Amino acid sequence: MRYRPPPPLVDILRAVLVMAGLAAGCGRVDQGVTVTIWHQSRPNEREFLAAEIARYEADHPGIHVKPLYKETEELRSGFQAAALANAGPELVYGPSDVLDTFHTMGIIGNLEPWFPAADQAEFVEGAVTTLPSRDGSGRRDVVQIGDRFGNHLALVYNRRRVPTPPRSTDELVRLAVAATTDDDGDGRTDRYGLVWNYTEPFFAIPFVTGFGGWVFREPEGTPPVPNLDTPAMAGALSFIRDLRDVHKVAPANCDYELADSLFKTGRAAMIVNGDWSWSDYLENPAIDAAVAVLPTVDATGLPMRPMVAPKGYSLNANARGAAAEAAIGFVRHMTSEPVQRRLVQRLRMLPARASVQDDPVFADDATLAASRAQLENGRLMPVATELRAVWDGMRPAYQAVLGGTLEPAAAAVRMQRDAEGFIASMHKRIEPSPLVPVLATAVGLGLLGLLAWQVPSFMAFLRDLRRNPTAYAFALPAVAVIFAVIVFPFVWNLVLSLSDMSLVRFRDWRVVGLQNYAEVLSDPRLWGLSGVFLKTIVWTVVNVALHVALGVMLAVAINGPVRGKSIYRLLLIIPWAVPAYITALTWRGMFDYEYGAVNLMLGKWLGLPAVNWLGEPLRAFEACIIANVWLGFPFMMVIALGGLQGIPQELYEAARIDRASRWQQFWHITLPLLKPVLLPAATLGAIWTFNNLNVVWLVSNGGEPQDATHILVSYVYKSVFNLYRYGYGAALSTVMFLILLAFSLLFLQRTRATESVYR
Amino acid sequence: MKEPLRITLLRHAVLLAFVAISLYPVLNVVSISLRPGDRLRSTDLAIIPADWTLDSYAKLFTEQPFLRWLRNSLVVSAVVTLTGVALASTAGYAFSRFRFIGRKATMLAILTTQMFPATMLLLPLYVLIARLGLIDTWAGLMVFYTATALPFCVWQMKVFYDTIPASLEEAARIDGCSRAQAFWHVVLPLATPGLVITALFSFMTAWSEYIVAAQVMQDENMFTLPLGIKGFQASLSSQWGLYAAASILVSVPVVAVFLAFSKYLVNGLTVGSVKE
Repeated sequence: MRYRPPPPLVDILRAVLVMAGLAAGCGRVDQGVTVTIWHQSRPNEREFLAAEIARYEADHPGIHVKPLYKETEELRSGFQAAALANAGPELVYGPSDVLDTFHTMGIIGNLEPWFPAADQAEFVEGAVTTLPSRDGSGRRDVVQIGDRFGNHLALVYNRRRVPTPPRSTDELVRLAVAATTDDDGDGRTDRYGLVWNYTEPFFAIPFVTGFGGWVFREPEGTPPVPNLDTPAMAGALSFIRDLRDVHKVAPANCDYELADSLFKTGRAAMIVNGDWSWSDYLENPAIDAAVAVLPTVDATGLPMRPMVAPKGYSLNANARGAAAEAAIGFVRHMTSEPVQRRLVQRLRMLPARASVQDDPVFADDATLAASRAQLENGRLMPVATELRAVWDGMRPAYQAVLGGTLEPAAAAVRMQRDAEGFIASMHKRIEPSPLVPVLATAVGLGLLGLLAWQVPSFMAFLRDLRRNPTAYAFALPAVAVIFAVIVFPFVWNLVLSLSDMSLVRFRDWRVVGLQNYAEVLSDPRLWGLSGVFLKTIVWTVVNVALHVALGVMLAVAINGPVRGKSIYRLLLIIPWAVPAYITALTWRGMFDYEYGAVNLMLGKWLGLPAVNWLGEPLRAFEACIIANVWLGFPFMMVIALGGLQGIPQELYEAARIDRASRWQQFWHITLPLLKPVLLPAATLGAIWTFNNLNVVWLVSNGGEPQDATHILVSYVYKSVFNLYRYGYGAALSTVMFLILLAFSLLFLQRTRATESVYR
Repeated sequence: MKEPLRITLLRHAVLLAFVAISLYPVLNVVSISLRPGDRLRSTDLAIIPADWTLDSYAKLFTEQPFLRWLRNSLVVSAVVTLTGVALASTAGYAFSRFRFIGRKATMLAILTTQMFPATMLLLPLYVLIARLGLIDTWAGLMVFYTATALPFCVWQMKVFYDTIPASLEEAARIDGCSRAQAFWHVVLPLATPGLVITALFSFMTAWSEYIVAAQVMQDENMFTLPLGIKGFQASLSSQWGLYAAASILVSVPVVAVFLAFSKYLVNGLTVGSVKE
């Protein structure tokens, strides 16, 4: 036989372990005090923060402030995890909407000792957030010191299309209708009058308030009660629907990014968007943007009032000593008068300190003035955790109204019901089952029994170890690494699945028994005919089948006498090479109803009518599958290519002598010999696909429309991260694990994958 | 070997169609990276926008620590790739060639580690990482990535060894090779396609992961590429231009790695040299 030198890859193998060992020894030593801040500052705010940090560090030698940007959800879940591990940053900076959650979990501290009433009085009302103390004493804890206000929506208009902003909704409709035009006369609207993100209920709030409604019943109790089943809600929903369907001033489907892009390119005359977006619009040379206060609703005479929220600093409950003091010092710095003035002047943001409110810049800057007018006209966003349940309750029904499957009044009823349901499950307290000791004993005995049962095998293993040391020496390192990482999280999750860990029992959770499993197994949304489970099976089977089929087809196509092999090979792995977190978003854009490439091509080349990919539940699910098939076939192709190399050419020669057709050769030689190589990839592919959160989440924007595109893993994600149901989520994950385990056992048994084809 | 023309044409038709399907969404990403003003969506099908600019690319190198992220990612991915290949090639061999107690159970157990939804493991994983003092260390990240990549790699290597007839090794042993020599000189070269797949997969695991990286790396100087890129995404005010430009640049090394490896993936091997 012919020897080939091993590829260079193999030569370096041993050096690696040495390198990994060295890397493990690297540690960093910090001198002085370090204050870490996790913040959700927007890009232009980060420079400001960095400059102020530099200033503060110069004034306070020995103190080092380390900012770390975290995206909203990442900050929230990351901070919870960190607090649970008694670690994490000293300060978190962001909008006030997570404060109640953090406070209920007991992971942020009370700032009152550092900011007594006298200090608080120096802030504008609403800038300092307080919540009732968890000890039930009736006192209030200071949970956040705000340094600015924001997050409020206003009307941004393009002066080239709309010279003066509307004061009332009638005027708004009139201006929008006039600005909605079909410039080239092809029957398709080219410019829209008014756009905004109408998939997200936050953007519907100004309409709801304009019609006299609010998210919670007033006065707000503890816990607050949703107030969604109201005439105001129905009125607002009808008004929104009519804007699109009767006045036709808005596109058929419009999410945040589409609205944003339309306005930036001058294809929308007005947009409802928040303060974070304005500077981009004002600086954009393609349009002439200006900010105005939202109009008054003619039907009620009430102004459209957006939600506003302070942004500020909260202290980690774990922060102690010098680091905590330094952190407080930094908060004082950021809320001091000079810094607040710079905040207004440089960032054009609304400051929290009362004494800065009369800064001369307010008089000079029309945008800032409009922003403040809108802020004063806004309503403070509730900090209650229940707001999240309200959003989750509103979203599906809202999307159903816009999808044309639900009337506004019925939608209001459903919103109320869903929101109340979510709040109930959020607050669900599970009492420890009296069976817990029995359960614990049973588990203990079971483990002992298992041990006893395994003693002979263990002895045999020890004998085998002596007889067969090479085998173990070869297998052990990989196995050790794999299990070192997984064992603790795995056991932790099993224990958690038996616990009542949730919003109300975040740090002081207890083992309560099998209640979570009972709830998982009796949930009709999971196991029903149109339930999440069946959808997950369809998702997995269709995806993996197409991955393997396309992968094998392309590998076989490349593997023949074909020119440009290496080019094809390279181009075909591109979907695997480009990060999925951006291509999934691209696919979402391609599925857009009006502007997406898929519909445009279907229409242009095949003459098919446009499909509402992202607006209809089933179509959205198909869109997710298409995107995921695209992402996954190159991987299988590479595996199949590798596998094809192992098939001896003699077999084909023999087959040709026997006059076997190409198809017969493929069916009787290629496929059977490719099977063993594809098996692990297909098995693991199925497991990964079953648990693939990213694609569904990004393409369908978190289960949209109407929470109808969830697969099990996104369902878990939503219940854990939106409703803080850790115990329930762990139980559902364990059930998912068992489903996959059963599937794999069955599959491997039938395919005999642990055995070799040659044996 | 000569093929009928229609088969050749069919091959090209299929391949060209899929090349188009593969490239189109990526060209969209390119298009986003060329648009000024962070516009994720476009209202037409033009790939090169009328107002195109390379600003985003320039900014990555001048205003963003892109090169530092690149270096970090390269180091992490290289180490993970090499460790992954080393461990998988040995373990896969053991599972393929040796019969020992616990073999089947271990192989299955390796699979089971992939079955738990990763999002649920984050919380305990963070606790583990924090307790072990692995926050802001390369080792923590590398061990985790290696462990993530290994189950697939071990299985893949195992099945590749399975396709290599044992008679080759026996022949080498008869010629005086030790078991280790036979593995190194005979089996490993023949398993090259498997090694390449293992290497590619390990590389991709380390190259594109960001959820765990976000837990381990709290120091911006230690960010890997995906972490840095995710930083361009903020709720409702993402810097799409930078995000897309960086994503395109991130795929260049992947393509390079694939280019370097793929000749080992497809060059004819010597399995056929044994007549059984």
